Parts: sequence; C-alpha cells; structure tokens
Amino acid sequence: MSELSISLKLFGSFRKFGQVLNLRVPTGSTILTVKEKISKTIDGQESELVFDSVLADNDAILPDTHILNEDIKLSILPPVCGG
Amino acid sequence: MNNLILTEVLDTALDIQKAYDFVANSANGAVNSFVGIVRNNHEGKSVTGLTYDLHTTLAKKAFDDICQKALELWPETKYYVAHYHGELSVGGISIIIAVSSPHRAESFEACRYIIEEIKTKAPVWKQEHYIDRKSEWLPGHSLNG
Repeated sequence: MSELSISLKLFGSFRKFGQVLNLRVPTGSTILTVKEKISKTIDGQESELVFDSVLADNDAILPDTHILNEDIKLSILPPVCGG
Repeated sequence: MNNLILTEVLDTALDIQKAYDFVANSANGAVNSFVGIVRNNHEGKSVTGLTYDLHTTLAKKAFDDICQKALELWPETKYYVAHYHGELSVGGISIIIAVSSPHRAESFEACRYIIEEIKTKAPVWKQEHYIDRKSEWLPGHSLNG
C-alpha cells in the first residue's frame, strides 16, 4: 500500500508537542483518518481536542471527508479564542 | 484587500491612529472602534501577560472575509482590523477594530459584529501567563462545522 507524507504545523495548545509533526498515512486517507493518526501519534493525549480541531491547508479548512492523494502540508487548528 | 477594508497581523505595537486614519472618510459621519487590552486577571487568577498565536495566512483571510460580509450587511462602511501576534504584557493592545459609516447606528453594529465573528471564526489562540509563572492555553470555539 502506498503512503503519503504530511507535515503538520501545530498551533495553540498543540504547541507543547513541538512546532511540526511529521506523519505518514496510506494514500487515499481522509482527514478523519489523519486525525486518528494524530491522536495515536501523541499517545492519546488531547484526543478529544484533536477531534474538536480542524485541519487546514494554507487556503482553507478541509472537511473530515476530504481525501488526500499526495504529500501535503497541513495545520491543526484547535478551538479559537481571538480578540 | 480594497480601499474599504484593511486587515493586518502584526508583531509590532498596534496603532489606533492608523486605524482611524484608514477608516476616516468625508462621506462618513461616524467612526466606532474596539480596542482589546490584556487585563490583569481572569477567573480569579492574577495574569501577567498573554501570548497570541495565529495561523497568519488563514487569520488574515478570516479577517478579510468577516469584513467583506460586514460590508455586504452594512453598505457604505469602511473597516480596519489589526491583530497582534506574539507576547503582550498587561495593558498591551491585542486587537484594534475601527469602522466608519455614514451614521452612528451601523458603525456600532458593524464593529460589534466584527469582534464577535473574529472570536468564533479566526484562527487565533491565547495562552495566559500567571503570577505563579504557570501558563495555560484558553479554551475556545471549535471551527468544526
């Protein structure tokens, strides 16, 4: 099974895990699958927060059903509180 | 974005005069502004400062989109939004919103609209720093759905 690489930039409370998380998932994975991978990678810590967060590329938030077919740079955006 | 909207993410001190100068318009008789300031307490804890984390590209895009929507809701208005990125001590300015409009009512309404939308839609996060040297990221609104 082929895989793709994800460079995941971390924000807010995810910064305690570093600036970037590098992941590999099967080609054709959905964003929801990537969230499950993130949760496992950080050993289940903040699992609820992972699923309450969204993943985005540099243009827009990607829905959980979005399918990834090539290497990509993403960001994980936890719940927001600006101002 | 255009001559009716200016949004910025800055790691230098925010400038209220700049906000006023951008939205001031001879056809508009009202300017309303909101200035967010780091306060020294939160839920009984003594706060020494805040760190503002932003996804710069998407935050600016969110500010632009929110102002554009406001412009559709209140035509003939003009907008300035600047958000600070980085660490601020108590008293520091975290956000400036300024809106001008022909009459006062829409400037109040639009200014309130902008800050409430930013709080729930812009990718911005706050880490509070306390007097006991502990820090905590504040909970917020999920961007899911």
